[in-house]
Amino acid sequence: MLFRNVTSPFSPRPRSVAVGIGVLFFLAAVFLPALSAQADEPTVTAVLTSSETEVDRPVQLQIKITGDANAIPPNEITVDGLDIRYTGQSQLVEGRNFRFTYSFVYNYTILPLKAGTFTIPSQAIGSNNGTLRTPALTLNVAPNDDGTTTSRRGGGNSATDEKKIVFAELVVPKTSVYVGETIPAQIRIGINSRVPHRFIDLPNLSGQGFTSQRMPNPDQRLESIGGRTYEVVTLQTAITPVRSGKLEISAKDAKAIIQVPRRGGSRPRSPFDLFGMNDPFNDPFFNDAFAGVGEQKEVKFSSETTTIEVKPLPPNAPATFAGAVGNFSLATDVKPKTAQVGDPLTVTATISGRGNFDRVTAPTLEETRGWHTYPPGSNFKADDEIGVSGTKTFEMVVTPNEPKKAVPPLVFTFFNPLKEQYVTLKGDKVPVVVEGGTAPAATPAVASAGTPPPQPSARPTAAPQGSDILYQLTDHGGWGATFAPVFQQPVFWAAQAVPLLGLVGFFGWEMRRRRLANRAGQRIAAWENESAELERKLRRAGDPPDQYYAEALRVVQLKTALARQIEPNTVDAEIAVAAFDLPDEQRDRVRELFRRSDEVRYSGRPNGNSTVPEETRREVLDLINRLN
Amino acid sequence: MRAPFLILTVLLGLTTGSFAVPAAPVNAEATFAKANADYAAGKFSAAIAGYESLVQSRQWNPTLFYDLGNAYFRKGDPGRAILNYERALALDPNHAETRANLQLVRDQARALELAPGWVETRLGVLTRDQYAWLAVAAFWGAAAILCGLYFARRRAVVWIFALVLLGTISGAAAFAVYQLETGSAGAGLAIVTKKNIQARLATAESAGTVLLLPAGSEIKILSTRGEWSYAALPNDLRGWIPAQSAERVRL
Repeated sequence: MLFRNVTSPFSPRPRSVAVGIGVLFFLAAVFLPALSAQADEPTVTAVLTSSETEVDRPVQLQIKITGDANAIPPNEITVDGLDIRYTGQSQLVEGRNFRFTYSFVYNYTILPLKAGTFTIPSQAIGSNNGTLRTPALTLNVAPNDDGTTTSRRGGGNSATDEKKIVFAELVVPKTSVYVGETIPAQIRIGINSRVPHRFIDLPNLSGQGFTSQRMPNPDQRLESIGGRTYEVVTLQTAITPVRSGKLEISAKDAKAIIQVPRRGGSRPRSPFDLFGMNDPFNDPFFNDAFAGVGEQKEVKFSSETTTIEVKPLPPNAPATFAGAVGNFSLATDVKPKTAQVGDPLTVTATISGRGNFDRVTAPTLEETRGWHTYPPGSNFKADDEIGVSGTKTFEMVVTPNEPKKAVPPLVFTFFNPLKEQYVTLKGDKVPVVVEGGTAPAATPAVASAGTPPPQPSARPTAAPQGSDILYQLTDHGGWGATFAPVFQQPVFWAAQAVPLLGLVGFFGWEMRRRRLANRAGQRIAAWENESAELERKLRRAGDPPDQYYAEALRVVQLKTALARQIEPNTVDAEIAVAAFDLPDEQRDRVRELFRRSDEVRYSGRPNGNSTVPEETRREVLDLINRLN
Repeated sequence: MRAPFLILTVLLGLTTGSFAVPAAPVNAEATFAKANADYAAGKFSAAIAGYESLVQSRQWNPTLFYDLGNAYFRKGDPGRAILNYERALALDPNHAETRANLQLVRDQARALELAPGWVETRLGVLTRDQYAWLAVAAFWGAAAILCGLYFARRRAVVWIFALVLLGTISGAAAFAVYQLETGSAGAGLAIVTKKNIQARLATAESAGTVLLLPAGSEIKILSTRGEWSYAALPNDLRGWIPAQSAERVRL
């Protein structure tokens, strides 16, 4: 029995991660038993994934032992008519309020070999506290869809050759189906776990005349087959034949790399196997495997071809049959229950069961007189990974044209391959209260080609009932429609010119405003600098009067220009006086400054190094300081 | 300030001529009315000829393709009926009569449909063209905010958030347009018009088969080589089919 944890061959872990996981397992192994001292008594449960199955359809048995790491699960469970094989174990640690419990789950696959009711007897589990016993379980096995009461796999028809290193097999529950009937299929590939290996490609279904579902993530586990342990990858899918006749199908082109011994390197016979006994260490695969000098080899393997007889559906299908094959149930509901004539009612039809849900279409009203129906919307929720079983919900809007007391029952037809007949489900008549006057009758659908087309003014959007299409339309609404997407039409790009130009215009306008603002700012800054520089010069003694008054005048002009945002050279005495709120005395001083400046400038410089008296300079500076 | 107006005038002048809807010929209405009358009289071949002449002269509208689909259905050609229903829906995705008839004919013909991808399924709230307009509207909104932020003295957080939001919306809408355009109902969508076409692994009649396609089945043409088209098929399969056995929905 193998208690090895299975890792995915398609996602090899780095060494450091593997070491980390190893440490965690080690810590768990050390500490969990210590915690178990405070845990409850060990318990054991056993469950079947399904208590109902049919011949050749396997179910899983899980024995869960909680609170005892040393419990010994049964090696072998024998029930006549059932092939029970151990397939591996998993560990489960649960923590609640810092109390940890750990469980070991032991998995067994049960393959029914014949129909009947079987009891899986209570199993004894050896534990530290004595012997625990699993409950007895009952499994009901029905004949499979072929009516077969015994397994066809009992004769060893499997592609699994126990002496092979690798194997592939395609498992289908039945070999005689109807067109459109969806059957689950299982692809299994396995490699002897003692052979170092790595899977490269998973197999594909090969054949024609069928469609298959997308395969979900593969399941991988160790299985003991014929005394050897295989690493088995299982893929689930569903197959739907689309035409009658013989359907030949196989799982092809699985690829793996295995490590095999080098040729010519045969090892001498094991000293432990002197008498030709079955010494495991004398296995050819171990000739070089321990030395790690094996040779890598790519192997490609396929399953045997499975032939499925596909029968056509019986003729004379009901008019409401739309291709659904399987076994379904129908439930209906209507909301709201009270409405006025012309108000929409939402009819919900829920179709549950097992079959080809992609061909399950909306049920139709049994009686459409006085009702408008609209195309329904649908939603499918699968119960399994391959979409064979689930629930498809249709929501359709109907509007009453006249007072009504109930919504007519919905009708849904499918072909039941077990009963080999068409089954028409009829929902319940749902009572509603529809009040109000009679609405104008909708234009009926064209039942035959000879009837005249309806008037364009009446354009009901009723869904077709039965098997005929709706009427011709004569109101076309104008010519010149185009298939080109809007972004391939010139008008679309022309329209972009409007915001583009707006944005470019805004950008340009803002840039220009900024540039102008910047130019004025530079000019003002220059005036301020010049004014400050001149004021500093005026505070220093030594300049001749003509230069001193010229500089003082310039400062007044600059300050006036800054105050009025005008050119300094255009400033005269009156403009300067008017620019500032000055007392009369100061105004006279301003005028005097202009007069003295003109006088000095035009009368010529006096001889000698005359300077402006200190008192005059102070008065001028005081005047300038007031010009703010 | 004259330059923007000049550019706008030139652009409009260049584009007006190219996107102006051509006026319907005088006899388009008459041809359509006659085809309808032929249909009502049970002369489906004559009706098909009338409708097809309008299609050839690029006088299109959803009703024309819907009526043409009906005529093909009456003639017993479900493949072309489905093709024309799909064309009507390509022009008007909300054409209720077309949806109803397409569903019925598809069920009768057991035509296979392409399953939309996960992303495509969730993009169904708007049409491809609506996403395109949303993308450009959000783009220009983001551009305007960016421009305003460029010149603003103080950049408020709310405007930066609006910029990021509109930029994200624009990018997401453009992604949606791409997904819808390249998805199962995009430019490559085609309908098998011949009966029971075998999709093959290679461009030869003797090549292995992939899938049997009933008339009216949806495929997505990925490339064409000579007389063969490589297409995405229902059930996530791919294969080669004779190019003449399918027609693109978009004309």
